[in-house]
Amino acid sequence: MSAPVAFSLSQTAITCHAFNADRSQVAVCLNSNDVTIFSRAGNDWKVAETLSEHDKLITSIDWAPNSNRIVTASQDRNAYVWQLTPDPQTGKTVWKPTLVLLRINRAATFVRWSPNEDKFAVATGARAIAICSYDAENNWWVSRHLKKPLRSTVLSIDWHPNNVLLASGSADMKARVFSAYIKDVDSKPAPTVWGERLPFNTVCGEYASPAGGWVHAVGFSPSGDVLAFASHDSSISIVYPAGPVVYTIKLNYLPLVTLTWTSEDGLVAAGHDCQPLVFSGSEGGWQAVGTLDDTTANKGQGGARSGFGGASPVGKLNSAAFHTFRSADSRGVGGAPGSPTAGSGSKDTELLTVHQNTITSIRPYQGHPGAVTKVSTTGVDGQLVIWDVNAVAGLTARMSSLRT
Amino acid sequence: MSHTVDIPQSLKDSLRKFRFARRNAGHAALVVKVNKQKLIMEEVEQFDDISPEDLAEELPENSPRYVLLSYELKHSDGRKSFPLVLINWAPTSSEIGLLTLHASAFLDFQSTADVSKVIDIRDGAEGLTKDIIDAKLMGK
Repeated sequence: MSAPVAFSLSQTAITCHAFNADRSQVAVCLNSNDVTIFSRAGNDWKVAETLSEHDKLITSIDWAPNSNRIVTASQDRNAYVWQLTPDPQTGKTVWKPTLVLLRINRAATFVRWSPNEDKFAVATGARAIAICSYDAENNWWVSRHLKKPLRSTVLSIDWHPNNVLLASGSADMKARVFSAYIKDVDSKPAPTVWGERLPFNTVCGEYASPAGGWVHAVGFSPSGDVLAFASHDSSISIVYPAGPVVYTIKLNYLPLVTLTWTSEDGLVAAGHDCQPLVFSGSEGGWQAVGTLDDTTANKGQGGARSGFGGASPVGKLNSAAFHTFRSADSRGVGGAPGSPTAGSGSKDTELLTVHQNTITSIRPYQGHPGAVTKVSTTGVDGQLVIWDVNAVAGLTARMSSLRT
Repeated sequence: MSHTVDIPQSLKDSLRKFRFARRNAGHAALVVKVNKQKLIMEEVEQFDDISPEDLAEELPENSPRYVLLSYELKHSDGRKSFPLVLINWAPTSSEIGLLTLHASAFLDFQSTADVSKVIDIRDGAEGLTKDIIDAKLMGK
């Protein structure tokens, strides 16, 4: 039961993040055209490298743990696969990009490696999902499109453990499960609850929440037999395809935009309410269990907070004056210590949650699929926070007014 | 005409043999690829009695090929003829350099094989079906 560990990586929003296999490095996009790789230096993260190749905002990054390759997708309609290769001139290992021709005419919004890391799927604004695989004969990445029946931008995708099925959440308010079987890359998959004998672009299921709304996030459970999706009507739905049975949990809170499963009967989701919520259930039913952000606990001294160089809980860097100047600098909130608006100015807009703005991405940090013990989140406030999945606190009645 | 890709004599002999082989029933196919490193054309495979759908399964999804097809055509008046058709198998997901090389050498290959009927299939396995070939041949 440990407290969340927060790192302030930048003043700008973090668009997306991806850790490497041993969590010693994290690749993030700081709302720009470049990927910044941070390396763990003790209690802090230091910039190790910047990868520049894209012409527009990078919307999604994924780091393959076994093959150590990074794939980035951007609004410039391209995706790059980065590989560590020794530079011929200097001899150091550098990240070398390989362009992947997605053949789309709109931005790429989301990208994920498949479980075997031989394919990756790119969700695009071109009403298609590009499944990319490596063609050894021609030495380049080839993409095939999943088109029917997508009617709008695809916002999120998740792979099934069998490397063939793919779940997608789209702005046409539907969550779907597709077969992304590529002839020379995949062997015929065993039958699952989603179907058998699945050629490319077969739709195994199409689901929507009762009130509709864009489907922001989708996720398969660790076994792949259950699908969860979060939509903009502030609901989260869990689908058991055998029935099909769909459990929809309607929340009184702001919509969730990202989710990840922690075990076969538990998942964590986060969104515009700036805190991760825990849900748990089984075939019999699902309910919200609590939040990972214990807003009632005394977080004043911020013992786990880091960033800005200092990690010590005591000392001159944590005085009230420093805090006032820091919030004046980062949030433009006025009020020097002597002025009449001191103190109250900064407290007005500061949230009680660890994240000060929407959480845009939540990913498993520690543990293996099926028994995740820690998750990492990044958000619009530029913070990277690592949460202990078991430190669940009760949900307060009115979460949207989390201020003093 | 400038020659980008050479056609070896062995391939020309194979083409002649294929053309004059006596056919009684079924479709036969000869698949040729361009070797980008050596800049020559090579015979990949030959199929005796294969359906168009099976042929689509056999052809690579991301690589261009020339396919010389001896097609069993059933005319409306009951006759059976076996015209030679050249299929330009060029899926758009192929590597662009190879696709351009394939396109540049196509006319050369067509004149060497001496075939007048050509079918372009650019969208992969969906474009190679019995109905499509029948429509193209009857339409001529």
